[in-house]
Amino acid sequence: MKHAILGATALTLLATGAIAQEVTLGRFFGDCENAGTDTKASVGEACIIQSIINAADATLDGVSVNTLPTDWGNYYDQIKAAYAGGTPPDVHVMHRHRVPEFASLGALADLTDDLDAAGIDPSDWEPAALEAVTYNDRIVGVPMDFHANLWHVNMDLMEAAGLVADGAPVLPSSPEELLEHARAVKEATGQDYLAADFAQFPLGVRLVLALVWQQGANVFDGDTATLDTAEARNAISAVTQLFEAELANPQLNYADSQQAFLNGEAAILVNGTWVVDLYASEAANAETALSTYYAADFPTLFNEGATWADSHMWAIPAPLKANDPETYDAALRVLAFINDHNVDWARTGHMAVRSSVLESDEYAGLPHRDEYTGTADIARDTPPSARYGAIQDVLNREFQAIWLTGKPVDTALLDAQVDVQDLLDR
Amino acid sequence: MPEHQGSRRALSQRQAALILLLPFMAVYGLFLVYPFFKGVWISLHDWNLMAVAFNPDAKTYVGLRNYERVMWGRDITWGALANPGFQIVGFLGMVASYLLYRSGRAGRVTALAMGIAALLLFVLPGFHPDAGGRWFDRRFWPTVGNTILFVGLAVPGVTVTAMLLAAALDGETRAKAVLRTLFFLSQVLSVTVVTLIWQIMFSPRQGLIANLTELFGGSPVVWLTAEGFAMAAIVIATIWWSLGIAMILFLAGLQDISKDLYEAGALDNATGAKAFWHITLPNLKRTITVVVVLQIILHFQVFGQSHLMTNGGPNDTTQVLVRYIYQTAFRDSELGRASAMAVFLFVIMGAFSILQFVLGRETEE
Repeated sequence: MKHAILGATALTLLATGAIAQEVTLGRFFGDCENAGTDTKASVGEACIIQSIINAADATLDGVSVNTLPTDWGNYYDQIKAAYAGGTPPDVHVMHRHRVPEFASLGALADLTDDLDAAGIDPSDWEPAALEAVTYNDRIVGVPMDFHANLWHVNMDLMEAAGLVADGAPVLPSSPEELLEHARAVKEATGQDYLAADFAQFPLGVRLVLALVWQQGANVFDGDTATLDTAEARNAISAVTQLFEAELANPQLNYADSQQAFLNGEAAILVNGTWVVDLYASEAANAETALSTYYAADFPTLFNEGATWADSHMWAIPAPLKANDPETYDAALRVLAFINDHNVDWARTGHMAVRSSVLESDEYAGLPHRDEYTGTADIARDTPPSARYGAIQDVLNREFQAIWLTGKPVDTALLDAQVDVQDLLDR
Repeated sequence: MPEHQGSRRALSQRQAALILLLPFMAVYGLFLVYPFFKGVWISLHDWNLMAVAFNPDAKTYVGLRNYERVMWGRDITWGALANPGFQIVGFLGMVASYLLYRSGRAGRVTALAMGIAALLLFVLPGFHPDAGGRWFDRRFWPTVGNTILFVGLAVPGVTVTAMLLAAALDGETRAKAVLRTLFFLSQVLSVTVVTLIWQIMFSPRQGLIANLTELFGGSPVVWLTAEGFAMAAIVIATIWWSLGIAMILFLAGLQDISKDLYEAGALDNATGAKAFWHITLPNLKRTITVVVVLQIILHFQVFGQSHLMTNGGPNDTTQVLVRYIYQTAFRDSELGRASAMAVFLFVIMGAFSILQFVLGRETEE
């Protein structure tokens, strides 16, 4: 009897082992330990994506998904090292801005002819989403969202400063008005007007970039760096005037700036769409100082609307398609599952990529969704470049030097100009 | 016939040594010697990390161009007073080492080592781009400078603290044994844990240090993003982290000092600080040399503290060589260039290893 039971267990283990195709999955977004499989109940980027992955693991017959570590800071370094070592994850998330770097080397599998069979309908994707995952007319990924910078607003502080009209915040339309509003908030509440991560990740860079684009300029054009310009100076001084008047603190990193906003110490937090549901749930929490939350489009301070934006997408390594068709098929099924749950991912605050989801009542009914409908039209990014990551680091270093160490703007822009040009020349 | 049997049964000493060494040599060759030469080979190529992985022919031989692109520039000239601070110190160092040798207060090798170091300090900072010229990589030499500054602060910091701790904790009591263990414990932590602990300690919002500053009426310093404090912050974290091994080495050194010396000293009224200065320190000379050289080699490889606590900032003030190598190799995929920098780092550390070897032999002579 004992032998029979042992034998049966061994057989079952063998059988499930043989049937279940393991798919390794690489992602950032951070760690969520108990995400569960309920894709409608999880809160925050990390837990929502992990609940979708867990649901895929539980639902898809014969596919088991193994999520690799989820650190954000060194994600691309790890992925590139994994590719170079011949062991990339079977599916991995990436940004649209990285497509030129990876696809130009032939690292990403061409999914164009396999999507239909896997149950993914590219004609349901928004044109901009299709463009984001297309390289040389071939589809090299499955888009998951558009994300962009928003102005997250503490309505109580704004109300106290008289900056609310018709239930919506009154946001500045020029750098001068920005300073006026900031003074009004300080006088009325004693708190800072604006907070953002100006000291760690390139969120301050994205803020300045948006203001550069709003003047019809850019930081590089083709192979030429165009950083040492009047437009860049205008954009930077629009931000630094707040630091000089002590109406904003440049020394907060990502976690500290977010905490300052949740503690009611700043009226505005400049951050991405990825935190809308998190801040909405924090505002509902009586213990958090933030109580009335609004998610606003990035305001236009110069001539035209613009805010930094990007896309998350999923890709499969080209070697997997070439060498391991079974795992490739399983990986495609995982991507189809994620694509089917586009509306669940949009619960984070990100904008959906599927037209059918964008038109659905469920999507329209998501919290705060109607407050930033203008964002899709003003979404921008720097031109495509295989050097995107390094260029962002140059801008982050030099801009931070301006507001953290008092480096003269002229010197910083000149250094940034030279460094970006060097990168474009390499 | 008996001879034949003998050679079959017993190996000569040389053969036995070879066989016993073989496993070590194989592992050493495979995992250290081969990768080193491969690194030098890569540094002579334009070698994109991912492109070469997908197509082995995607690399091109460029000779020493990576070294030139990293270390040299356009219109570089040399001046005896281009960087007066370092160069004057270097010049005085050369004079001093000559005088010390002539007066017999320094051995030949010590004087030579000192002289070479001083000569380098005089010559290297003298290079600078002419008007209209520029370094090809304007961040490389400042990064080397930051690394040297880090080593210059961390090594004396670790050595002095570890020596004082060892002197205080050398003894048989239970309390001392417990404290020795406690002070050694930080050494076993990984760099991620150490940097996490110190990031919290330095945090202006919740950190212990900020709370203490506020308690005494000061306004908290934002250590990790303030230009004057960021390097100090990572040095402090490093000292706390790497105290243990140095302390153990000093404790071992202390136990080698004969008790008779202290007894004789006590008769001449040399106790406490006097005994430490006149008996302990001179007898620890060799240990100090070992600790300093080991620490120099270790801290030139600093990476995690800078990468995790300050991201090399603000304004590149904590950017160090290994982090620059890492970014060049993995963020920028430029393996050739990164390897050239790594070879440069090897030369520095190799020089200090040779120095240790030389100093060790001289004391024996």
